[in-house]
Amino acid sequence: MFEIGLTHYLVVATLLFVMGIFVMITKRNAIGILIGVEMVLNGANINLVAFNRYNGMSNIDGQITSLFVIVLAAAEAALAVAICMNFYKNLNTVDVDHGDTLAG
Amino acid sequence: MKLLTLAAPIIVVMLVAIAPAFAVDTDLTLSEQGIQRSADGGLLEALMFYVCAAVVLGSGLAICLSKNIVRMAVYLFGTLASVALMYFLLLANFIGVIQLIVYAGGTLILLIFGVMLTSKSPWAKFDVKRNELIAAGVVCALFACLLLFVVVNAEWPLETDAVVVGSSMTQFGVGLLTNYLVPFEAMSVLLLVVMIGAAYMARQE
Amino acid sequence: MGTYETLLCVGVVAPLAMFAVLAFFGHRIGKPLSGWVAVFGVFISLGCATYVLAGWLSATDKAALMATTGYDWVVLNLFGNEMPIQFKVKLDGLTVMMYFMVTLVSTCIFVFSIGYMAGHSDEVDGQCKFHRFFCYLSLFEFSMLGLLISSSIFFLFIFWELVGLCSYLLIGFYFDKKFASNAAMKAFITNRVGDFGFLLGLMLVFVFLQTFDLDQAATNFRQQYATQSGIFAADIDILGWHISGMGLATLMGIGLFCGAMGKSAQFPLHVWLPDAMAGPTPVSALIHAATMVAAGVYLVARVFRLLTPDAQFFIAVIGCITLTITALIAIVQIDIKKVLAYSTLSQLGYMIFGMGVGAWPAALFHLITHAFFKAMMFLGSGQVIEGCHHVQDMRRMGGLRKRMPVTCWTFFIGVLAIAGVGIPGAHIGLGGYFSKDEVLAVAYERTYNWEDRFGGHEKDDGHGAEALHSAAPANDDNVLRSGKVILASGGGHDEAAAHGASGGHHDDPVLAGIAAKQHKIPKWMFWLPIIIAYVTPFYMMRCWWMTFMGKPRDEEVYHHAHESPLMWAPLIVLAAGTFLSSYMMFRPQLGEAAVHATPAPLVVSVDGEVPGSAQEELLGLSHDKAKDPHAALIGIVGFAWLAGMGLAWLIYRNGLELAERIRRLPFIRFIHWCLMEKLFFDHIYDTVLVGGTKWVLAQVSRAVDTYIIDGIANLLGRGTVRIAEFSGNIMDTGGVDGLVDAIAESTQGVGEMVRQPQTGKIRNYVLFGTTGAVLVLAAIIAVVMS
Repeated sequence: MFEIGLTHYLVVATLLFVMGIFVMITKRNAIGILIGVEMVLNGANINLVAFNRYNGMSNIDGQITSLFVIVLAAAEAALAVAICMNFYKNLNTVDVDHGDTLAG
Repeated sequence: MKLLTLAAPIIVVMLVAIAPAFAVDTDLTLSEQGIQRSADGGLLEALMFYVCAAVVLGSGLAICLSKNIVRMAVYLFGTLASVALMYFLLLANFIGVIQLIVYAGGTLILLIFGVMLTSKSPWAKFDVKRNELIAAGVVCALFACLLLFVVVNAEWPLETDAVVVGSSMTQFGVGLLTNYLVPFEAMSVLLLVVMIGAAYMARQE
Repeated sequence: MGTYETLLCVGVVAPLAMFAVLAFFGHRIGKPLSGWVAVFGVFISLGCATYVLAGWLSATDKAALMATTGYDWVVLNLFGNEMPIQFKVKLDGLTVMMYFMVTLVSTCIFVFSIGYMAGHSDEVDGQCKFHRFFCYLSLFEFSMLGLLISSSIFFLFIFWELVGLCSYLLIGFYFDKKFASNAAMKAFITNRVGDFGFLLGLMLVFVFLQTFDLDQAATNFRQQYATQSGIFAADIDILGWHISGMGLATLMGIGLFCGAMGKSAQFPLHVWLPDAMAGPTPVSALIHAATMVAAGVYLVARVFRLLTPDAQFFIAVIGCITLTITALIAIVQIDIKKVLAYSTLSQLGYMIFGMGVGAWPAALFHLITHAFFKAMMFLGSGQVIEGCHHVQDMRRMGGLRKRMPVTCWTFFIGVLAIAGVGIPGAHIGLGGYFSKDEVLAVAYERTYNWEDRFGGHEKDDGHGAEALHSAAPANDDNVLRSGKVILASGGGHDEAAAHGASGGHHDDPVLAGIAAKQHKIPKWMFWLPIIIAYVTPFYMMRCWWMTFMGKPRDEEVYHHAHESPLMWAPLIVLAAGTFLSSYMMFRPQLGEAAVHATPAPLVVSVDGEVPGSAQEELLGLSHDKAKDPHAALIGIVGFAWLAGMGLAWLIYRNGLELAERIRRLPFIRFIHWCLMEKLFFDHIYDTVLVGGTKWVLAQVSRAVDTYIIDGIANLLGRGTVRIAEFSGNIMDTGGVDGLVDAIAESTQGVGEMVRQPQTGKIRNYVLFGTTGAVLVLAAIIAVVMS
């Protein structure tokens, strides 16, 4: 119980990941969806760093990859907020359910 | 309840503030090779881990249940900050710092600005249909169960830390300019593109 | 790094700094001052270059001074071994000479530009572009100097592309004019074609020679040839083509040469250079006459050691074709800048041809003399154009010598230099008399003395070579050569010492094998350049006479013409440079540089008439008294300048009437038309390449239309008919009307059902995606568990 290992982190990461998906599904606010995406990315990132810690090799490949993920997430957030603002400008709301003009 | 939700972020901030002290005082010691773990430790690390995990999952759950976008952003800060703490526990100091700076410092502010710029009222609520909630809950629960099943049952090569990985800035610098040079450059180009793209999309016509 | 390397770097960085200053603060610095900022930067470069040159000339032991210093930029782990890509500064004779030439010429041109641009409208949409011009020029200066000091072919390529970019920006400087932006595009795209080959060559170098460093690559190349490994042992099949060994090495050389073909505007990529005259005239002088287009020749000189005999022959052929056709086109041009552009092309052709026949020092010597006099003539033409209010048509000029005397006479010096004026038998001459004729002399050796010098190669035993060399200085007939050396050495260095110091590699068995593979230059490839040596003085004299002499043909133009000191002062400096470059320092220094820059077997054996020191052989060809440029050619080309210029004078001395009458002659008229149409290259490219691409696209889209879209439509039509028949039959026979309705309804029902999940709501899509993930995961787990 007190010996914290890889599995502990993976469990946390998994739960965070799934909660992120839940947030993505259930929030109608575009920013809320973005928050869900950030949670998913964080969950994945915990995985990367945890595997890097417990893979038995003394390299930092996992950490560098997670660094890239963080950078990508930041870039994605910037773009997403810009998209949200455009969305808001066009539809006067951030409710993503209104963005169904292309529905079949 | 309201008091608790307001107090949670404050607790997290305090935790972040004292985290390095924990790390150094207990079972992790700084040396020239990076952070070394003392042989006898474990208890405090476990404690830290559980606190972090609790905050991560608790604030995550709060995000799921909250209907207010500003509150969600604040909870997200709790999640991000305690994930950063987890990175410290995983001896990934640099990533932890970056997490705090980029995520908690940058992305979150961006989100909040997004909220403020796009919302007629920051307290606007968008309700979701009950059956949608149920469907999402069922699917996600199933997904979580399956994933946890895999995680718990899989045989990972190493359960414990036989090798302690240092993560000095030097290693990162060398790594980024040698083995990871191409992704690094690609990332810089990507950031440039994103900068231009975001500015283009958010421009006033 | 030693002092000299550091200074070279400072000289490279100074224009870059000025570029940054102008890029960020140029609009505030204002109109005349930002030009002086750029001049300041290039002046620092010139100072560094002069210091290095002085140190180089006064040094006794140049081999000790030569250095390649720098650091590893990145170390790649490829093919199981470490391959560093190095950023290093190369310091050798060639670099020093070229560096000095480029900085000197560009200082003059920068100063000239201030005067030139002051009189030009330089506003687009109310934005002043004056500082931008000098901004680009500074960037160009940085890239060009960087190109010269790079020891790695990789960095050479980077700077190569940078100068291409600057060329693009500056050709299209008046981008609000359609023809200028088109010309810029044409230059850029044509260069891309060449650079594609260059890249392929680079890849071959990288893969087979496993390095980008020029010296290391040459060493590896030589070693691989000696052991028949690496590229010579390679065996590749491409689309049924079998390429191996020597063929691949030749391809590598040709690939690298393709870059030079684009940048130096060699046939068939020569079409961009005349159009590039759309840029401001100082740009034409600096980039499209003196420096950038010469970078192609420089590249060939640098990779000379990687060229196989076949590749060299290819280069010679290309050069020969270029110099011929472009000189012919130059005869009929009426735009003063176009004449200069085509003559530049022709002279570049001579340089490339010289490289191809192995006249390494001669070609570079021609590069340097040409840079001075051609830059001078371009600036002169700029002065004329500026003075005449942007009239470029020579038919409207004439008699300008009274209005702009300095321009007139400096231009005349340029004409004399390009014509190769000189008195055979005496050591008096100008520009091309030494440099171009030396190229021709080497070509002569390769054509007519082939058997003597190359055939008996293997029988000789090395002692003969030494004897020949030791005998040469004692020979009384050698006055010309020693006179030249004395004039040139100035600082009192002894070339023979340099020869001795660099000796080695005697009796190389590798050389013997390869020399036998050297090509004998066919006779036409010798005679065409000779004929063009007569044509060159003709069209240059024609140009000069039409512009400056005779009577004024357009009162308005004549009335406007004027000179300004800021613009003619650089002309005088360049005129002095033309004189000096013909006599002093450059040629012997280049000969010496050749000692170090061309020690590879394949190259040296070009001139390997006798076995012995590879280096000595190369120099032997250039300096041997028996092969003095004019000893063998005195009757052939010694007085070409007189014939050509005389003919032009005869035709044009009384205005344009005689020329017009000649043009009307039946056969001449046809030739004139062909030449006016630039021998149809643009038309051919337009029709074949552009039109071909369009045709292919049209065919493809037509095929898609006919076979796929029409096919589907027909299929649907036919299917509908069938269904109609079928349902009609059912109705007729069974009368079951309801079935059809049922089909229709069920179709609609399915449609509705399928449509249901397509809500267009992103959240629902996430839900579906997750559901899918759950299902897949469950399936995987189920499979694994069972």
